[in-house]
Parts: sequence; structure tokens; C-alpha cells
Amino acid sequence: MRETNAQTHSHIARAERHRGTPSGERANTQPTDRATTGPATVLRWAVPSWHRLLPGVLFGILSAGCSVALLACSAWLIVRASEQPPILYLSLAVVGVRAFALGRASFRYLERLVGHEASFRQLARVRTRVFARLLELAPDVLTGRRRGDLLARFVGDVDELQNLSLRVLQPLVSATTVLVLTVIGMALVVPATAVAQLGCLIVGVAVTILVQHRIAAGADTHIQAARGEYQAAVVEYVQAREVLVAFDADRMAQQRIAALEITLARMIRRRAVASGAASAVMTVVGAASVVGCALTAAPVLIAGRIDAPVFALLCLIPLAIAEVAAAIPAAFAGYRFARASAARVGTVMDGAVLAPSELSDSAVSSGSFGWPGASNLVEPSSGIGASGPVPRSAPLLVLRDVWARRLPGSNSAALCGITLTVHPGERVHIRGDSGAGKSTLAHVLVRLLDYEGSYTVAGVEASRIDPAQVRSRVGLVEQQPWLFNESIRQNLIFARDTATDEELLAVLDTVGLGTWVHERGGLLAPVGERGGLVSGGQAQRLALARAILADFPVLILDEPTASVDPPRARALLRDLVRSAERAGRTLIVISHTPLEPGLVDRHVTLAEGRLE
Amino acid sequence: MKPLDVRLLRYSRAARGFFLGAALLAGVQATATVVAAGALTMVVTGVLGGSGGGGAGTGGAGTGGGGTGGGGFAGVWPVGSWPDGWGLGGWLGCFLAAVVIRSLCVWFWEVLSTEGAIRVKRDLRAGVLRVVSDRHGARDHTSEIASLLGPGLDGLDEYFGRFLPHLVATIIVTPILVAAVWWADPLSGIILIIVLPLIPLFLALIGMATASVQRRQWDSLRTLSTAFLETVGGLTTLKIFGRARRQLERVERVTDEYRRATMKVLRVTFLSGFTLELGASLCVALVAVSIGLRLVSGNMTLTVGLVVLLLAPDVFAPIRAVGAAFHASTTGTTALTEALALVSAPARDVSAQDALVSRVPVSAGSEAGVVSGSGVVSGSGPGPGVAFGPGVGPRSESGPVSGCGPDPVRGPGAGLVVRDLRVVSAGDFPLTQIDLLSPLDLDVTPGQIVAVVGESGSGKSSLLAALMGFRDATGTVLLDGHPLILGTAAARARMAWAGQTPTLVTGSIAENVCVGDPTADPALLVRALRLAGVELDPRLRLGPGGSGLSGGQAQRVATARAIHRLVSRDGALLLLDEPTSAQDDARERALIAGLRELAAEGRCVLLTTHRDALAAAADIRVELAVARA
Repeated sequence: MRETNAQTHSHIARAERHRGTPSGERANTQPTDRATTGPATVLRWAVPSWHRLLPGVLFGILSAGCSVALLACSAWLIVRASEQPPILYLSLAVVGVRAFALGRASFRYLERLVGHEASFRQLARVRTRVFARLLELAPDVLTGRRRGDLLARFVGDVDELQNLSLRVLQPLVSATTVLVLTVIGMALVVPATAVAQLGCLIVGVAVTILVQHRIAAGADTHIQAARGEYQAAVVEYVQAREVLVAFDADRMAQQRIAALEITLARMIRRRAVASGAASAVMTVVGAASVVGCALTAAPVLIAGRIDAPVFALLCLIPLAIAEVAAAIPAAFAGYRFARASAARVGTVMDGAVLAPSELSDSAVSSGSFGWPGASNLVEPSSGIGASGPVPRSAPLLVLRDVWARRLPGSNSAALCGITLTVHPGERVHIRGDSGAGKSTLAHVLVRLLDYEGSYTVAGVEASRIDPAQVRSRVGLVEQQPWLFNESIRQNLIFARDTATDEELLAVLDTVGLGTWVHERGGLLAPVGERGGLVSGGQAQRLALARAILADFPVLILDEPTASVDPPRARALLRDLVRSAERAGRTLIVISHTPLEPGLVDRHVTLAEGRLE
Repeated sequence: MKPLDVRLLRYSRAARGFFLGAALLAGVQATATVVAAGALTMVVTGVLGGSGGGGAGTGGAGTGGGGTGGGGFAGVWPVGSWPDGWGLGGWLGCFLAAVVIRSLCVWFWEVLSTEGAIRVKRDLRAGVLRVVSDRHGARDHTSEIASLLGPGLDGLDEYFGRFLPHLVATIIVTPILVAAVWWADPLSGIILIIVLPLIPLFLALIGMATASVQRRQWDSLRTLSTAFLETVGGLTTLKIFGRARRQLERVERVTDEYRRATMKVLRVTFLSGFTLELGASLCVALVAVSIGLRLVSGNMTLTVGLVVLLLAPDVFAPIRAVGAAFHASTTGTTALTEALALVSAPARDVSAQDALVSRVPVSAGSEAGVVSGSGVVSGSGPGPGVAFGPGVGPRSESGPVSGCGPDPVRGPGAGLVVRDLRVVSAGDFPLTQIDLLSPLDLDVTPGQIVAVVGESGSGKSSLLAALMGFRDATGTVLLDGHPLILGTAAARARMAWAGQTPTLVTGSIAENVCVGDPTADPALLVRALRLAGVELDPRLRLGPGGSGLSGGQAQRVATARAIHRLVSRDGALLLLDEPTSAQDDARERALIAGLRELAAEGRCVLLTTHRDALAAAADIRVELAVARA
């Protein structure tokens, strides 16, 4: 029996895949994907493919090479000129100086352009990837999450990843290449000078990286976290401003923000001291290598094995080299920074911080919640699902001994063994005190929360199929519906994108908003940020209108009239029930207030997680 | 982009300090640069001169610098003869010392600019937050303010860290170096002076050309951040409707637009960088070639030539850096402009408030106890124009629990007296139907519970918000005979309020309830929780935005918070906006009993409700009609 069921589910899954629902595909690949979202994985996403990266690196090499060659060439030119040779001997150097000057600027321009284009393209990819993952996590308990922190994370951390190729890979590869080539060139002329230069370079870069690392490694990692915390505090402050003012807690909240800012500033200061020290060390090492090269080249000059122009060239090249080499420690610092961001993005992708208690869209029910006595086994709920079309009289929703938590992390159960059967076309009223578990039940029914026990939709065990499939049949109007900062039309149309304006207006009429919309200037009137331009009751009505548009076979109304005045609430419920009947819709009304007699077929009372 | 907004200097003392320090550093740095170039030249020409004098076969090297004398060797090291007799060691030491000073400058630059960014950001953030908390009536865009205070102002790190230091260096270092070059070789100095002014000219031209494109990029960044916040907030809704995927496409589209907008800007800003770099490189090449030719003809010494060659790139270094940092700092400067516009705006708000205050006539409370007014229909009261005190008004069966005679201490005219109250639209917030437009008269005597009822959109919430000063209003409001200037802390001092949405914050329930009075008597906390019907452990910690509670629980905690303020500060007036909208009947009855208890202590309770039971329990019902503009 269970195998039959499983087959049915896989059929459904396959059918979904054919329709192009991406979540069906992910269900298969997710578990392996999930385990590996460490910083290294995230960083790999941020690396552009080699054919996008290569042009930037090449232009970088050419540009850095040109700036070394420019200095070398002009030093040689001047010293050679001072020997007053025939002018003909200098013409090549004159051309070289001009060409390298031109080349340095042009290649630099190309390097920056190509590099930015590549990293921006990659950024777009990383952003959507992060976003796709957020959508998968699509949390039930996201309301009230640290939205400020999320903002900081998404915009800040993901943007930081862009710097991986731009400030880490590209400069590192091109600088190293140019340095190696230059040192090899020096070695061909005077090996001792090359050794001195190489020694200074290695010591300098190593010391800088070490200094930077010692002082700033900790700060780098924590700066982004502190910044996120700070920004979350700012958002909370802005959102709770009226309350804080009303309770004279305004100043205290501002002081808290100031304290967070001081912590953040301390970290940033530490990092500045470190990176300043690193640049200072690089400047000194540049000078040291000039001295080293001069001292090693001088005996060779005196021995007559090199001439004066070459000597001058060897003395001045270290200046150009120091400039190029400065990119290396900077790249290391950039890497640490990018890695910290990648780690944070990684945690979001794992859902660990963002939504510790979330049920993943694609995760197939994980089985036991670990309550003693609660049945782990999914009841093989008869063969209805397997046997073709469901008879109209057959139960639509069947709950047997369903247990659930309000938040998956919490210890206590909000639903303790619910058994409930809902037939097609039925109108059920679920009542109960606040805290009785009504909203938890609603969220289990639309699979926003995981459950234990058996819950079948049209005979199919809900935990076995993609939650999105359950939600295509069972709709919910939330207690606090979300309105997007768009027009009324945009807030409705996503429920059914084929709907005409006439249909939208008709639905708005159904929920009693017809005249209101007309007065507001039609469907294009804005609703404001978080529905700020509409009242609580109007927001509820808009959300109801949305649900009617989507035409769910089963519709759950979670406290639909909480902030609607009683005369209209009754009328509204009457309208709703009528439209539900018209479309053969099954209706579950969750409300603590008594309903008009005759509106629903039966009443069920929920108390402390149990049905009475 | 304006390279520097003068308002910043006026607004922020930290900014002025930054520029002072930067100017000093730039001076030291320029001097060290000149000394280092001179010393290095002396080292090279000295060695060349020494080796030439030693006749080591380098073919006519003797023309360079002052090193014409025949030096001997001490071991392998050339000693040469330097004009002032410092010797190789002396010049090398001089060079190293100059470079160390220069490197210290580099270090200090980093520290200084970070410090400047931190302090200026602190000034601006504090200013913006102050403006945000001062401004009432208008609902600010949370995500836009978060974007401005977060990523926006953080863009100033780049501005202060990379752009401004180089800007200062361009102004101070460049002239010093040009002067040094001029002193060594006037012709090279002339070349530099001719080329240099072209560069700011290009900067200005390119800046003008990109201004509008940059503005668009900033808008795009904001759309992106708003789109994200919106989508995260509405994820549950989107999931229910199976529309989450579409939002993904939207973010994809916005991000792509962001890339295209940014690349458009970059192509132009990089072009400016290219022009600068090209100008600088070609100028150095020009100088080098001209020096070379003059050396060939013997019109110049090698020392001068080398010094000029070493200094010429440094002349252009600051201005090249300005070009490179140009695009990185635009985010910061745009945010800076926006923040400065915000913090310099409040002048308008203040004047608006003054006007409001002057419009509030101070009248005696002689009409106390009268419920009347145009556009206001008295509900279950005995009728307009009839004075009635507590105990006289109609009571529902479930209402009074204990005797609640008028508080003799407060005397006649006690309680809340509202005359001719109009809620006006505030600032840029457009007039909406939610605003209460008809003038309202209202009285609440101590011990009374007054319920304001009416359809959604009739202005019930606006009335309470106006009393709290969250909406601009005109009219007379007296509390216990004292005229109130709405919107001031003094006016709120004896009021406690709970809005329509609970708006709890991160922290324990106790912290939430005792907000503003963290040191109050714990017994008051217990009482407030009891009266509001909160049965949760006060130590229970809530997540951000008060997450972790059901809607009903959060509402009761918010009510408890208001009650706590009322009793801990011995307030006179409790304002509750739909306190039972998410409560069941039993909870509602419990709250009514709690409110009765508070009223019996001689306090005024003014609440709005949709619920029949709560309205019936009130002493007086005031019905508001939907105002038509």
C-alpha cells in the first residue's frame, strides 16, 4: 500500500517537473547541495569563469608591465643621454617612453572595464542564487525577522563577493606575474641585484600580510556582523519610533544605537590601523629594495660589467616594483573580507541564521519531531489518492493524530493529536481562545509548518509531496496579510495574472471595497509601504480579494474580521461564503468571535491544541 | 558629482577636523617626497660619478651631477665625492629617513580618513535619526532610511578613505612638487603647469556628463534593496499564492538593471580615469624626453634631470588617485547629499509646529462634560449637550465592577477635554480618507471609559494619534484643566498609549512592558500584566519585532505596556487603539474588568473599538462618521 502511495507521489512529482516547477527538481538534489554551503562554496560562485576573468588579468599584466617599463625606459634614457651619445642611439628609448606611457593608461582602462563587467555579471548570478535560496526557505515565521540585518546581508555581503575577482584574483595574478618577470629580467643582468630585490619583496609582502593578519583578522570577520546588528537596531528604531516616543524610551534606544556604533567603529579603526601599517611597511620595503639594488649593483658597475644607464635603471626599477607589489597585501586583505562575507552568505543559504526553524520548501518531511508517544509512522491513508479522480463525496482534508509545534524549535506542542475530516464544499468554523493553536493548525494545513501524524489532501499524504502542490489546493488568508508597496492592482494581479481589470473590480466589490477603490482613484492607487495608506480592515479585505482571485479549492480564513467593524464583518463573511459556494469552494473559517447562524455547516472548538 | 559639499563642513565639526589634519599631513608628505627624490638622485649620480672618476670604463660618465671628482673605493663600496661631503652613507640615510617619514604619512592617512569617516557618519546618522524621531504624521519609508543609514552612508568610507585624502593631496602636495620641479628646471615646471589644469577641467566635464546617470544608479540600488525587503516581508503571502518564483525573476531583473546602470556609469567614469592617467603618463614622457634631449646637448646636469624625472610622476599621483577613487565614492556622496538634505530640512517642521502652537487657543475648561460637535453623533449617551459624570452614564451589564465616583482631588474640569479638534494632513503626507477632518468635541471625566466607534476609515486611530502628537492637529485639548501642546513630551507625560499594531521590540516581555521605566517597582509590572491578561512568563525573550508571540498575545503585551506606564507614572489618561481586535470574548471581558479597575482609580480611559462587547462596556460611546473631504 505504501509503495502504491509512493508511486503516486513520484508521478505527481514527475508531472510537476514536466510543467516546469523547479522545486520538484530541487527535491532530488537538495540534500547534497545543502551540506556544502561553506564560505569556499560561496566564494566559488563569485569567481567568474576563466574566459571572463582572463581578459582582465591580461590587461592587468600589460598595464603593470607598462608602468615598470616606463620608469625603466625613462631612467635609461636620461642617464644614457647624459653620456651625450649621438641622438640616434636614443630614438628607440624615446619611442619606448611614449609607447609605455600610452599603453599604461589604455591597458588600465581596459582592465578596469573588463574586470568590472565580469564581476558584475557574476554578482548578478550570486544575487539571484542567494535569492532563490531565500525563496526556498520561504519561512512561516519570517514576519518580524531582522529585516535590517537581512538588508545588510544581501546588499552588503553579496556585493562584497563582487570584490573577489576585482580586488583579489585579478590584481594578485597580474601583480605576481609582472613581479616574477621583472625579477627574472634583473637576474639576467645582475643576479645579485635580483636576489636583493626578491628578498626585499618576499620579506616585505610577508611582513605586511602577517601584520595585517595579526591585527585585523578578527575585526574583518566581525565587522560585517556588527554592521548587520547595528543596521537591524536602526531599522527596529525607525519601525518602533512611535512606541519609543510614546513611552519616553526614544533617548534610550538612540543610546543603544550609539553604543552599537561605537563597537563597530572600534573594529573599523583597528582594521584601518592594520591596513595603514601594511601600506607603510610596503613603502619602507620599496625604499629598502632601492638601497639594496643600488648597493648590489654598484660593485658590478665599478667592475665594468654594466654601464651607467643600466645601473640607474636597476636603482629605479624597485620604485615601480613597490607600486606593483602593494597590490598583493591588499589582495590578501580583500580575500579575508570576501571570505567573511561568503561565510555569512553561506549561513543564510543553509538557513541556519535567517530561519533556524524553517521548513524548506523542497525538503521532504523529516519524520520524527522526537515527542515521546507521537506516532512516527505515516499512516497509509487508504488508496484514494492512487485510484484516479477523487469522488466528490470523499473527504478532501483528513487529519489523523496530527501534532505540530508553533515554531519547530520550541519544546511544547501547539497541536496535540488533531483529528479532523473536511469534505468538499463544506464550511467549517474553527473557534477557540487565543493561543489555542488555531493559527498553527492553519499553517500546518497549507504546509508552512511541518507536522507529525497523518494529513492527507485528496487522499495524498501532504508531507510526501511538494508543499507548493498542497498550497495550490489549500489557500490561506493570513492574520496579518502583507501588502506590497505597489498599486492596488499589483497587489491583486499576482494571485491570477490573467485577470482583467473588470474582474479585479468585481472581486473588490465582493469584499466590499468597490466604492473605496473608486474613491481612491481606481486600481492604480498605491497602498503605501507595508500597506501604510490603507487601514487594517481594508488590508484584510484586499487580502481576501486576492485569495478569491486565486480561486483555491480550499480556502482558510485566519481571523478574517479581526479588525473589521462588526456590521461589515457579517456582511463580508456572507459574501465570502456565497462566492465559496458558487465555485464549490471548501471553506475553513478560523475565528474566536461567534459566527452568524447558518453561515457554516459546523463548528469545531480548539482548546490547548486539542479538538473538543 | 560635487567633489565636496560645503554643507558638510558647516554641519560636521568632525569634517572640519579631518581637513585640518589632512592638510598638515599633505604638507609633511610633500616635503618628504622632495627630500627622498633629491637624496636618491644624489646616491645614483654619486655612484656614477665615483665609478666614472675611478675610470672603471663606463664611457664618459663623468658629466653627471656634482660627482666629478675622482673618488676612491673602500673595499667594494664606492665612496665617491659628494659636494657637501655627506658621502654615500649620508645620502642613503637621508633617503631612508625621508621614506620612513613618508610611510608614516601613509599610515596616518589611513587612520585619519577612517576616523573622519566614522565621526562624520556618526554626526550624520545621529542627525538623520533625530529628524526621523522629530517628524510625525508622515510615515517614513523604513527600508529607504535603512538603506540610507546603512549601505548608503557606509559608502562614505570610500569617499573619506580614498577620494578626499587624494583631493587634499592634489590641492597641497601637487603645488609643492611643481614648485620643486620649477626650481630645479623651469622648462619642466612650465610643461607641468600647462598640463595640470587640463585635468580638473576634464574631471568637471566628465562629472557633469555623468551626474544624471549616477542619480539613476542610486535609484536602482534603492529599488533593489526595497524589492528585497518587500519580497522577504511578503514571502509567506507569495508562497501561499505560489508566486515566489516570479519575485525571483523580479530580483534578477532589478539586479541586471543595476549592473547595466552601473556599467554605463563606469564606462564614463573610467574614461575620466583613463584621461587622467593618459595625461599624466604622456606628461611624464614629455618631461623625460625633453630632459634627455637637453642632456644630450649638454644644457643640463644629470642630477637635475633625475630629480625632475623622479618628481614628475609624484606630481600626478594624487590627481590620478582622485580619478581612480572617483567612481567608488559616488555612492557615498549621493547618500551624503541625501542625508544633508534631511538633516538641514527640519527648519520647515519647526515652523509648522510653531504655527500649530499659536493656533491652539488656551481656553478654560468651563464646558467640561459636554459631548457635542458637528460631524459627531453621540452614541449611547443621553444626548448631546447634556453633562453627565461617571456613574450617570449608561452602563452595560458587564461593565462596572466597583464603585467609581469622581476623584474629588481632581475637582471640576478634571479629565480630558477636547474642543474643535481637527487632524490635518502633515507635511508631504497626502490627505487621505483616514485623516479625521471634521472638528471634534470630546470629554472624558476621571473614572470614565469612553469608546470611540465607527467604520474603518472614520478616523478613530487618527484621533488617538493626534492626542499623542503623531498627527498634526488643531484645536484645544485640556487634561485636568491644563492646556496641552500636542506633540510635546510634556503633553504626553500623563498619557499612556497602545497603538493598533503591538510593535514590540527585541528583549524580554518584562523589558517590553517596562520600556521607558526600567527601574519601576516590579509589583507594577505584575499588576500591569494581570490587568492586561498576559499570562506569559515576563522573562520570555522575544525576537526582533516581538516575534515569538501570537497576534493576540502580542496585543495583550502592548496593552500591558500602556497600563504599566499609566500606573508607574500615575498617568491620567489611557489611550487604547482597538485593544481587543485579536482577543476572544473571555479575554475581552477580562480586559474590560481591568480597565474598570483603572478607571475606578480616577483615570480616564479613551479607546477605539469595532467590538460590540467592548463598546457596550464603555460609559459613553462616541460614533465617528467617515469624513468626506
